[in-house]
Amino acid sequence: MLGVTFISFLLMVYFGPDKTYELLGKNPTEEQIREVRHELGYDRPFLVRYGDYLRELVTFDLGLSDSNGEPVAAILARTLPVSLALVLPGFVIGNLLGLALGLLAAWYRGKWLDKLVMSASVVGMSISFIVIIIGLQILLCTPYGLNLFPVRGWQVDGPGSYLYYVTVPTLALVLVTLGYNTRFYRAVMAEEIERDHIRTLRAYGASPAEQLFKHVLKNSLVPVLTRIMFSIPFVVISGSLLLESYFGIPGIGLVTFNAITSGDQPILKAVVGLTGILFVVALMINDMLYSLVDPRIARP
Amino acid sequence: MLKIKILLILLVPLMAGGCGQPPATGDVSPAKIYRHAMDGAPGSLDPAQAASIYANFVVVNIYDTLYRYKYLARPYQLQPNLAAAMPEISEDGLEVTIRLRQGVHFINDPAFEDGTGREIKAHDFVYSIKRHFDPVTRAQGAWLWQQRIEGLDRWKAEGSDYDLEVSGLRALDDYTVQIRLTRPFPQLIHTLTQGFAAIVPREAVEKYGQMLASHPVGSGPFMLTSRDSVRVVMVRNPHYRKEPFDLADEGFDHAIHEAWGLQKLQGKSPPFLDQLEIEFINEGAARWNAFSAGEVDFIKVPVSQFDSILSRREPPQLKPELAERFHFEASSESGFIYTNFNMADERIGYHPDPGQDRRNQALRCAMVKAFDWTRSNETFFYKIGRVFPGVLTPAVPEYDAAGDTSYIQRDLEGARQLLAENGWNEETLPVLEYGFPNGVTERQSFEQFRNFMTDAGYPADKIRPLIFATYGDYQRAYSAGKVPLINSSWTMDYPDAENLVQLYYGPNASPGTNSANYNNPEYNRLYEASIAMHESPERTAIYRQMNQLLMEDCASITGISRTLLFMWNKDFAMKPDRSFLGGYFMRFVDLAESLNDAP
Repeated sequence: MLGVTFISFLLMVYFGPDKTYELLGKNPTEEQIREVRHELGYDRPFLVRYGDYLRELVTFDLGLSDSNGEPVAAILARTLPVSLALVLPGFVIGNLLGLALGLLAAWYRGKWLDKLVMSASVVGMSISFIVIIIGLQILLCTPYGLNLFPVRGWQVDGPGSYLYYVTVPTLALVLVTLGYNTRFYRAVMAEEIERDHIRTLRAYGASPAEQLFKHVLKNSLVPVLTRIMFSIPFVVISGSLLLESYFGIPGIGLVTFNAITSGDQPILKAVVGLTGILFVVALMINDMLYSLVDPRIARP
Repeated sequence: MLKIKILLILLVPLMAGGCGQPPATGDVSPAKIYRHAMDGAPGSLDPAQAASIYANFVVVNIYDTLYRYKYLARPYQLQPNLAAAMPEISEDGLEVTIRLRQGVHFINDPAFEDGTGREIKAHDFVYSIKRHFDPVTRAQGAWLWQQRIEGLDRWKAEGSDYDLEVSGLRALDDYTVQIRLTRPFPQLIHTLTQGFAAIVPREAVEKYGQMLASHPVGSGPFMLTSRDSVRVVMVRNPHYRKEPFDLADEGFDHAIHEAWGLQKLQGKSPPFLDQLEIEFINEGAARWNAFSAGEVDFIKVPVSQFDSILSRREPPQLKPELAERFHFEASSESGFIYTNFNMADERIGYHPDPGQDRRNQALRCAMVKAFDWTRSNETFFYKIGRVFPGVLTPAVPEYDAAGDTSYIQRDLEGARQLLAENGWNEETLPVLEYGFPNGVTERQSFEQFRNFMTDAGYPADKIRPLIFATYGDYQRAYSAGKVPLINSSWTMDYPDAENLVQLYYGPNASPGTNSANYNNPEYNRLYEASIAMHESPERTAIYRQMNQLLMEDCASITGISRTLLFMWNKDFAMKPDRSFLGGYFMRFVDLAESLNDAP
């Protein structure tokens, strides 16, 4: 954790955006430039700044945003749940559908159904996320299409309004991730299906459902879990940026993007730190889940 | 289309499990809600940090300034806002006395004793301007008044103690402000229309500190209720002062404004809306989709939609089917786009050797001749941008429509000849870096620029991109003189051409606004001679002379003012404005239907 924070802080300080000129007025003097750098704390020794950063992370006292003066902790508390609520359905549906299609394609590997699923996956992977978003907006959210859902907004106060706002972003997320998920899961399942114990099962006359769900899927869970767990931090922090931006949803992705472009270091420091913590937590949970799905891993 | 609809009708419920429901609006839904789309988001809502047009747009709705511009009069005319009248200015132009309206209060806020907004006094204005000279504020507006108001810079040097008086900025009594200038500053009242000059209560600054940026306490027509990265929501300030709207006083012209349904505003007191929502939609496609779906009432039309909405380009005209449903306006921006040569760079700018200096000037002039404004306008501005020579844009009265346009005509033969006559060839031409912040359009601009130069014989590999991650990083580099070719833009701060000609005044060199580091003694002398002048034929002659000097020295490839297209819902009676009036027009927006119902 120390290594992650140190390297990310080092990169932020020496290669990250600089807010000085954002905060300067027109015709600044050298003295005014120095003043702003001092106010931003840019002139303090690196190790002192790093020490403060660690203290902020530990105490969760993340300071105030340089852009709008709001406490960073309050910004995270407000935007993280929104991002989670936004991407969770798409993430779950995308992975479940990917698993199902991957299993199907692997079972029928080499047949027309396999080729159809794989071709569709490649097509899905080739279409830009932005094109998918704009296309869905036109088809589902404007009078040129069905006009059933809103183009923008997030005024969620119950299950009905949640569905109203989350449906189109979810469709976009599923469409953009499904190809990648399906190809990955198909490769894992196809490898598992080729193993001796599955062939033995077939020889014993086990039904396809028993083979696939009881044995193939169960024995493939380690790589499946790894993929899912490792993608969670990305999904939470950055995966929703385009969705939030195009659908006008006030989540953490958009806040992070704005912080990068405007050089809002208090927010960036918090997000980078949070991402590091999330990775560590995801790794720990991943290890625990490994031992659950494959008890051999837990044995000394 | 019908088949697609049927297919979607079948698919959508399957995939999404039903359409969901729009959120309940409740019984207390405000009657008049106007939803405005902006193509960018404000950072801070502290007036001292309201540097962007987006922040300024919001700030002037939440806070009060002493002056504003008239709603409809063009060219722009000043109008008292919180001031009781136009200022009294001494004969020598050095002493400005401003009287404030009485009985105007800040909104209620816990920052005040007993939570009730107190009356605004002259010392609040003094305090608000002083904040710009206090480093703790991180203010961005000090440049407007530094070295212009007597004693203010000294006050800062002595530690920015608010209890110390500034000789040139005083509250003579509760309702009178006196400003003493170090030299005449005809643009002073223009600066007092800006969000930077909005009045903040000291109690709120002391209570909220840096958090004032997201917790505004003003006295404007609206009050902030919520704000996040995608929108701000404001509601009408119920205690806003009563100021009956006067059509004639605001510059109403039947011939121009009649179609917009503003007549019935006469005599009513703004603000007319119950709720004002401003959506920040940076992406053109999303902005257009939101407008098409009726989710916002106003947009700046993205360039990608120009083809689909216009029936003709010159002058821009909306397609009839759209004109039935929407109001439309095309207006030239109050700024321009240019490419400066860094004159402090000896490869392309001033050189201590007079011979090389002349050769460098010839090189710059050849590049000016090689630039093709027509194609640039076609590629990036839908051919409706306004190209002009020099720095005096078509938006200012000093612009000379009949002037010399040879500087904006492509002359490839002339460019090649200049290069040859001055000994420039593929071997001797210098490597130049063209700077820009990372972005698709910026990259395209660079490629086109390089293409124009190669047409004149400049080797393509000698014009190189210098790309920066953010605009702030780019600004830091060119402010430090590290970029020889600076592609940038300027948005005017006030409707006075002084704000344009100062861009090339020598003492404003980097890190100041003169990013070209242009330093022509004659230009500087003329600027200084005109500094105390108001707009007049004499000043116009000087400005045109300065413009000519700039063009002859070839310090910049300039310029083009974009034509911006706006559309808004016919349900609203309003005349939007994106430049100097900016957010001030919001208080005058009303539902057309409610006006029709009015007696």
